[in-house]
Amino acid sequence: MYREMGLANAPPQSSQDDAALLALVKRGNEQAMASLFDRYSALVYSVALRVLRDPASAEDVLQEVFMQIWRSPDGFIATRGSLGGWLAVVSRNRSIDALRRKKPMEQVDEMVLALPYNLANEAERNNMMEKARSVIYKLPIEQRKTLEMAFFDGLTHSEIAEMTGDPLGTVKTRIRSALTTLRKAFQA
Amino acid sequence: MSATRHIEQEDLALFAMQLLSTDESATVTSHVEHCAECRQLLAEVQGELAVYAHTVDIHPPSAQARERLMKQVAREKKEVPIERASTPEAGSGYKTGLGGSSTVQDEPKQSFGSRIFPWAGWAVAAGLTVAAGNLYREREVMRSTLVRQAGQMDLLTADVASAQQVMDALTDRTAKHVMLTKAPTTPTPPIPQGRATYVPEKGTLIFLASNMEPLQPNKVYELWLIPADGRNPIPAGTFHPDDRGNASVILPPLPRRIEAKAFGVTVEDEGGSQTPTLPIIMAGS
Repeated sequence: MYREMGLANAPPQSSQDDAALLALVKRGNEQAMASLFDRYSALVYSVALRVLRDPASAEDVLQEVFMQIWRSPDGFIATRGSLGGWLAVVSRNRSIDALRRKKPMEQVDEMVLALPYNLANEAERNNMMEKARSVIYKLPIEQRKTLEMAFFDGLTHSEIAEMTGDPLGTVKTRIRSALTTLRKAFQA
Repeated sequence: MSATRHIEQEDLALFAMQLLSTDESATVTSHVEHCAECRQLLAEVQGELAVYAHTVDIHPPSAQARERLMKQVAREKKEVPIERASTPEAGSGYKTGLGGSSTVQDEPKQSFGSRIFPWAGWAVAAGLTVAAGNLYREREVMRSTLVRQAGQMDLLTADVASAQQVMDALTDRTAKHVMLTKAPTTPTPPIPQGRATYVPEKGTLIFLASNMEPLQPNKVYELWLIPADGRNPIPAGTFHPDDRGNASVILPPLPRRIEAKAFGVTVEDEGGSQTPTLPIIMAGS
């Protein structure tokens, strides 16, 4: 009993990977939760802030996303992808839901994400951010704006088509092409 | 997009961003469930979106955000499964220490305390079991209360949303207000009309006016509540009609429990007045 309690309360090492921290969170280790927050809160908050453009609402999403980890860490399984990537997408989706004032659509534990990067490593994370930004800025302006409107503003392809005057098919193709360019840049 | 054909990559991207309609999303969900190829493609698209999300400018949240989270985490402490400590077999120690050499003659030598002590342990255990049972029951009651209150919150939220919609419609400057009356036999100019809805107990007042004549510059219409007890008229808000002569005063600050004898409208200088300036151009009781 004492050994287990000791494990549950032991301060986690900063270098611990996400799966180890999640295992500790599952056992009720609050310091592991704090470590995950320190590692990913800026990313989660920044994505929410970009979508909602309101610091108070973005902090509400931040709180909601991390409490979801605390309440059901099983929702994320290490083999399903990277926790950092998962958090970024969940933060975006929760923010869009807040923007539309509707209940969350997705079942988080059903979302599978293929991302072959160890985002728990800060250097690797920063490196990936820089590279992604560089690729996005080099995209044709129409592709970049269309992807931004869909992902960060939560506009449907019909809404984007209406706003830009482009045909629906063109809007869809631009989103797909932008994502393909991003993927190829990281495969190269 | 169909349930039998593979999902187009464009649609998978829209699905991943939750931008498809409910029906389209249901079709994709159903297909992806049974198609490993599309499932893999969807995972790749989610990965691409995760990379894209990382292009956002990074802003750290406030220090209070961390504090808030950790407080909430502490409030929702987890019930960690605890390994049961191995308990020595009841009485075994006594047997090895005493039983082997004990004789009938030894028995009277046991003190009253040593005979009572083992029973006291059981009594404490029984007491703890009862207490734990009570705690469990209390927890279940609290949990059901929480669920019930969460349901009430949902209902209240829906009510608030509905009330907000009503308010938005009433106050929207682009809303069209139409009053239907008996069709006149000869064309007559429209008469200014107002409708006040007043709840004295709550001091709630909603006033909607139509066909109001335009005002001179620096003038404003002012609504008055004329109390039934003979007190001076109470100002109940000023308003300007829009281009079509429509106007409204929604929930002006009024004292509660004032019985109204009548309502009136006067024209005042911009900014309103504390006493009505005659003439009263509209009145109703």
